[in-house]
Amino acid sequence: MVSKRSVSLGDDVAKAVEQAAHEDGMSFSAWLSSAAERQLRVRQGLRGVAAFEAEAGALTAEEIAAGEALLARLLSGVSGVASRVTRRR
Amino acid sequence: MAVTRAGLVYGVGALRAAARGDRVLWSLHRAALTSGIVPVVPAPAIAEGFRTEARSDRISDLLDGAEVEVLTDDEARRAGELAAKAATADLVAATVAEVAARRNCAVVATRQAALTTAANLLGHKLVLHAL
Repeated sequence: MVSKRSVSLGDDVAKAVEQAAHEDGMSFSAWLSSAAERQLRVRQGLRGVAAFEAEAGALTAEEIAAGEALLARLLSGVSGVASRVTRRR
Repeated sequence: MAVTRAGLVYGVGALRAAARGDRVLWSLHRAALTSGIVPVVPAPAIAEGFRTEARSDRISDLLDGAEVEVLTDDEARRAGELAAKAATADLVAATVAEVAARRNCAVVATRQAALTTAANLLGHKLVLHAL
């Protein structure tokens, strides 16, 4: 099922979406739908994190910073072992 | 030349870590989501996680912020062939390696020889956060 909606985008955003959709081999609508789907998944995922925190205690600023640093290391191609990261905290 | 990765793939080890409340894993998951990265979980890893972990509710919370990679016929065949070449019965490890190579992702999983062997067979440098 597809639901048709009329949406308004800023000129710059529309041009950027058009370019990105072309590069990704998708239609304008499919690209926008995919981006929205991803954003909804992020939103739902953060609710999952909140559910964990409600039960186990909120992640501290230090833990959040450690998670961000670990993500940056992995995306830059650096492998690691959990215990080493834990010891740094 | 520096190797960069575009996202994360979770293996069974990541799901188990989530189930036991590993705060490093949950911090990493949060960091990924706030960066706009939705981690990928191959369907066989989910099956194994739900087979072995009592806290499936926490796995479900994790999966709320994940993209489930469902294997097509061809992908399932490739994973089976890869496991055979890697001389392992661990289809989940083979699947995780295949998805990581195809989608250029770092892996969060338990350290396993099968994972490394499968990645090597694919010519993919495994970037692993071992739990």
